[in-house]
Amino acid sequence: MSKIAPRQLYFFFACIAPLGKLVLLPTQLAQYSANDLLFPAAINFLLQAGVIFLIMLLSRSNSTFFDLLVNTFGKITAKILICIFSLFLIFVSFLPILEQKLFIQSVFYDTLPSTVAFSTFFLFSAYICAKPAGVLGRTWDILAPLAIFGIVGILVFSVANADFAALAPVGVTGAKSIFQSTLYTVSWFYDSAMLLMLMGRFEYQKGMAWKSALFYLLGAAVILLYLAIFFGIYEGIAVRQIFSFAKIGKYNSGVPVLGRIDYLFIFSLTLGLSFYCTMPLHLGVTCLVQAFGGGKYRPALFSVGANLIIFILTILMTYHFATVNKTVNETLCYLFLVFCVLIPAFALLLRRKPREKV
Amino acid sequence: MTSITGVLKQDAEKLKNLLPAEDILTFDFQNGEGLSFQCIFADAVTDKELLADEVLRPLQTYSGKPTTDEVKKAVISPEVRTEKNLQKLADEILAGNPVLLWDGADEGLIVGTKKVFVRSVTEPPTDVVIKGPREGFIEDVKINTSLVRRRFKTPDLKIEMIKIGRQSQTVVAMCYLEGTTVEQTIKDVRKKLKEIDIDYIPDSSYLTHFLSSRPYSLMKQVGATEKPDIFCAKIAEGRVGLLVDGSPIALTVPYLLVEDFQASEDYYVPEYRASFTRILRLFALIVAIYLPAFYISAQLFKLQLFPVRLLLTISGAIQDIPLSPSLEMLLVLLVLEVLNEASIRMPKYVGMALSVVGALVLGETAVSAGFVSTPAIIIIAFSGIGLYAVPNLIEQTSVLRLAMLFVAGSVGTYGIILLTAFVILYLVTTENYGAPLVAPFAPLVKRDLRDTFVKYNIGSLKTRPRTLGSKNKRRLKRHE
Repeated sequence: MSKIAPRQLYFFFACIAPLGKLVLLPTQLAQYSANDLLFPAAINFLLQAGVIFLIMLLSRSNSTFFDLLVNTFGKITAKILICIFSLFLIFVSFLPILEQKLFIQSVFYDTLPSTVAFSTFFLFSAYICAKPAGVLGRTWDILAPLAIFGIVGILVFSVANADFAALAPVGVTGAKSIFQSTLYTVSWFYDSAMLLMLMGRFEYQKGMAWKSALFYLLGAAVILLYLAIFFGIYEGIAVRQIFSFAKIGKYNSGVPVLGRIDYLFIFSLTLGLSFYCTMPLHLGVTCLVQAFGGGKYRPALFSVGANLIIFILTILMTYHFATVNKTVNETLCYLFLVFCVLIPAFALLLRRKPREKV
Repeated sequence: MTSITGVLKQDAEKLKNLLPAEDILTFDFQNGEGLSFQCIFADAVTDKELLADEVLRPLQTYSGKPTTDEVKKAVISPEVRTEKNLQKLADEILAGNPVLLWDGADEGLIVGTKKVFVRSVTEPPTDVVIKGPREGFIEDVKINTSLVRRRFKTPDLKIEMIKIGRQSQTVVAMCYLEGTTVEQTIKDVRKKLKEIDIDYIPDSSYLTHFLSSRPYSLMKQVGATEKPDIFCAKIAEGRVGLLVDGSPIALTVPYLLVEDFQASEDYYVPEYRASFTRILRLFALIVAIYLPAFYISAQLFKLQLFPVRLLLTISGAIQDIPLSPSLEMLLVLLVLEVLNEASIRMPKYVGMALSVVGALVLGETAVSAGFVSTPAIIIIAFSGIGLYAVPNLIEQTSVLRLAMLFVAGSVGTYGIILLTAFVILYLVTTENYGAPLVAPFAPLVKRDLRDTFVKYNIGSLKTRPRTLGSKNKRRLKRHE
């Protein structure tokens, strides 16, 4: 259980990682680049795929990112750096969790539920975060077919209503707008940063680098198709269609007869999302364990601490989502570029073997 | 520990001091040459007729030397052993095997004339089949091991007898195929069995606690069957089987969750039928666990989950119900559980009365009186039946259903999803004897999927499950 199998990693790239891009990203892309929403998404996906390829090349040493930092900078500096990474990952988890909270409140309840309703998420999150990262691989084995079931179901239910002509004329918003949109949505693409923390928890096998990138692009293709359908259905009002995947299927002609059976797909996607949302937190806790040592109770302590922080932030910021979202997307996007693109790319320069002691 | 001295009077007295019970009897006799013998046995558990025919009569006419070998030859029983230790001799007497002592003997003679009260080998009521063997295990470990041995005519089948229970000295037969079962699993099971220090083992279910890696877990971690054919099939796949004296339920480890979806009949019917019924079982179980919970959460938190026409019907049915949806569902579930419990334990002659009370009073009258709604009764009835599609998991799934009901009533649909996430996480992190509980799904073992919910033809099941890590992988050779 300590190691993640290559197949499980491919499942993550193709089926789990795309789930995080289904909730609010489509609306934001539509807001920033209207009918050209596919371009910024594709650029971000390609960028991530490239970085994932590089990280996989780096992981040939089968060392963890922390080991590489220790080899290059020594133990103290490595601990400081990994703590900074941990803070980043815990911070990264905040927006998706807040996003999920709003999604849950809007989709699963007729009236606004009490705080307790979403608080239970943190119980689950604290439980999973206290587990070793190797556990993730097995959860992906179970979640991958559920995610496929969910996303394929949503696509099948919605594709017939889409007017793809709405995506034309291509490129009308201009290169600047596409570039800006790419930059402002980069905060939803942090898979490379998470992969960096998963290094050393899987055994590198020949061809894994290009296969990982390919599977990531496969998941990306599905999301791009979803984005096309999304804009094809909502067109001009797409910017107001938050949590679109929970309602895009209800226009299917079968729904009035069968009832909201598209909820089955929504449930399975939400299940996958619950796991995906905990991942940055989980890996943030893993970083802390690397820096300060594990033992029997420390992972649980770090997990409870990290979850408590995010829980408090979530409660405080519930009514300020728009501000948080805007700040993270438009002001802190450079931070994401540094941690999710530049650092993973430059990590190739780290020493793979320990320094020889004199 | 005291050993035999060779002085009959002294040895017999010591032995009787070790067994100060009224049902321990002695029989003194002399042979033709005046040599004194004493036979000590436990009344009721010793077959006295057999003892007289095989031991006492031949020895009364015996005129050879009083050595152990000569006496052994004179006795005509096929099951004769010797023992010097008085405590061990006492244990044998309590197990129903008489002990023979005589003047000058340096060892006691144990004769296997235990009286065995057993019922006949019949079809187990918990696992009835239309096609396939109808034999079931019974309460006698010797007969059970013979049922296993009859199916494996190979010296590779090892049956180790281990005694557990300080006072019950219950015999546990540990069965495995040498060269097929992983050595580490055998060692681990043996170690765990030998570490058990308990006074009494009334049934094999007592052992499951000691054999589990998470003894307080909701999920079971030890397989159980009443059928020798299933037991042997599991051993053939590389598992360790345990037969406990006094219990018709045999245990197998390592256990995989998918085992309980595989009924014995699945292997004796065409694979398309087996696959269909397995998927049906899974569907029934999922519906049984989730349906009451979703019904409550839809009523309380999100009415959109119901199709419009169904919503109209439901709202018509529940409009005068005084109880909240979750309380109503819990009440109906409680009634079902009570009926279930009572119907198992009640005397048969009151069965009819209980059926009438259950069906008419609690069902129809409660609805017409407006205590509970018809949809709630329909849902719980379906759920109750659905759980029995996988009867071996009933203890776990009924608790899970109740837990789902609670979270649905308090948190709603999201609570159900989160509890499912918890269960998934819990299941994937549970391992026993090196085998993950939810294998071959997590971790995914492609080849092992051939005998899960979709069952392949027997010709495609060429290898033993990889999850069990057997060294002897090949099961079927050169099948065209």
